[in-house]
Amino acid sequence: MAIYSAGRRRTMIILLLTSILLITLDLRGNAVFNAARSGFSYAIRPFEIAGDVVTRPIERVWSGVTDIDDLKDENARLQRRIDQQSGTEIAGENALIENRQLRALLDIESLAAYDRKTGEIVGSSPSNYDQRVEIDLGSSDGIKVGMPVVNEAGLVGKITQVNPETSVVMLITDTLYNVPVKVVALVFPTPSTVTPDTVPSGLDVGDVTTTTTTTTTTTIPVDVSTDASTDTSTDASTDDSLDPAVDPVVDAPLPETTTTSTSTTTTTTTTTTIPPEPVEENRETGLLNGKGGDLLPSVQFIADSPQFGRIEVGDEILTAGGSRSLAPPNIPIGRVENVIQRPGTAGLELEVGLNVDLGRLSFLSVILYQPPTELR
Amino acid sequence: MIAAFLTSSMTRVIPIGMVLLALQRTLFVELRPFGVIIQIVLAFAASAGAAGGPERGAVTGFVVGLMFDLSVGTPLGSSSIVMGTAGFVAGWVDLIRIDTTWWMAAIFVGVGGGVGEAFVPVVRRFIGEEDAFVPEMATIVPVVAVAAAILSIALVPLSRWALKLGRPEWKLPNDG
Repeated sequence: MAIYSAGRRRTMIILLLTSILLITLDLRGNAVFNAARSGFSYAIRPFEIAGDVVTRPIERVWSGVTDIDDLKDENARLQRRIDQQSGTEIAGENALIENRQLRALLDIESLAAYDRKTGEIVGSSPSNYDQRVEIDLGSSDGIKVGMPVVNEAGLVGKITQVNPETSVVMLITDTLYNVPVKVVALVFPTPSTVTPDTVPSGLDVGDVTTTTTTTTTTTIPVDVSTDASTDTSTDASTDDSLDPAVDPVVDAPLPETTTTSTSTTTTTTTTTTIPPEPVEENRETGLLNGKGGDLLPSVQFIADSPQFGRIEVGDEILTAGGSRSLAPPNIPIGRVENVIQRPGTAGLELEVGLNVDLGRLSFLSVILYQPPTELR
Repeated sequence: MIAAFLTSSMTRVIPIGMVLLALQRTLFVELRPFGVIIQIVLAFAASAGAAGGPERGAVTGFVVGLMFDLSVGTPLGSSSIVMGTAGFVAGWVDLIRIDTTWWMAAIFVGVGGGVGEAFVPVVRRFIGEEDAFVPEMATIVPVVAVAAAILSIALVPLSRWALKLGRPEWKLPNDG
């Protein structure tokens, strides 16, 4: 039997050409193929359910043998993280509510404006090269191709195939995945002198002088309450005989000196430290691409523009949004892990450490936002 | 045409492919030795080649590859090329030995499975995917090949039944 007989060669050529034809038709989009996929998903569902029931004990034994040490370590690590985060949770929730209210007032596009559907992962891709999972939400739940998928930690991926009862989610690490993103950094503002209208004690601002840098120094008269029986008059005057001194270190005016004349000469100085609120500052925008496997996704097309500030490790990556974006704005993705300088005009490349742990996904939410590019 | 289909081996290959596909999507995505998903459908295509020769292997691989694409959502035809190649390569065992022993078939099924798995990024690059070649290939291909060789002990007799081949027969060299 020869390896290259004419009949064998003909068979191979026919199979190869048929495959190429099918690939070409499918990549161009074909309603017949989509219908065939939906039909096949119905046909194979009973086999999958039966397979799942039969093989679940084997899976459990396997994961019990191979994962027990990892699970113990992870449990301890997560417990520590819960302890750390419980303190900041309340402040975070408060900021979130405030953010929503302000966005609603300013009519800014927000993630909260879109409805969500939450589903459970019912399968993973059987390929070693795909980064995809299957969820139990389908076209009957209003799911459409292109919708972004998130969990509590941030962006997970997008819908790439919709069946009547299930959908396929392409994960953010898949080599075919990309989404416009922005790099933001939390910047602490430089010290500035402000005079508030009121002070915490309720005193009129005319009675006190408050200088807010990182430290607020307040000079409060001892007898601030007006007591008619004692007929105490308070004559507050600012001593302008000296030029306002300038602190040579911070190059900012020193606090004004307030001299208060009262019947008593005792004064009390209260020093309150108010931490400055960080401000979110856009650094740059770019395109996030998955790299497959365990490789970190990267952001490219970043111009290294010093006017926006230097991108640093730890800066946050969020979806950029916009009229033609694949996802609404401000979905958290992760943080910059590495900043790679590329030669020439290629610009920077950023490696992104993801917020979500893609190895431990269970429930996912589909944001009912269909990108304009996916509308047909 | 319907009668021809009913008498063909596809009446057995398609249901077996469905069962193996269900196992692939349930059991084998959970069992990941060295982090690699064992490809039982690919191993079946290679086993069909080892049992029935390159042509039957290629046709069986083409059919189960189409089923794989329909199920997973990859471009229709991309897995057909991969699994058809695996079946064709594994079928060479039929050409170099008169009587195929189980261990010889296992080696060729392993080689066919490895070649097929290594062919996946090639096809993906062909259909326009950048970064199709991932560093993990160095682990993925050998693990899939070894697993296919081990699975062939069960899959070669199964594919022999599916292809209605009966017991192995003596063959003369160069009778093609």
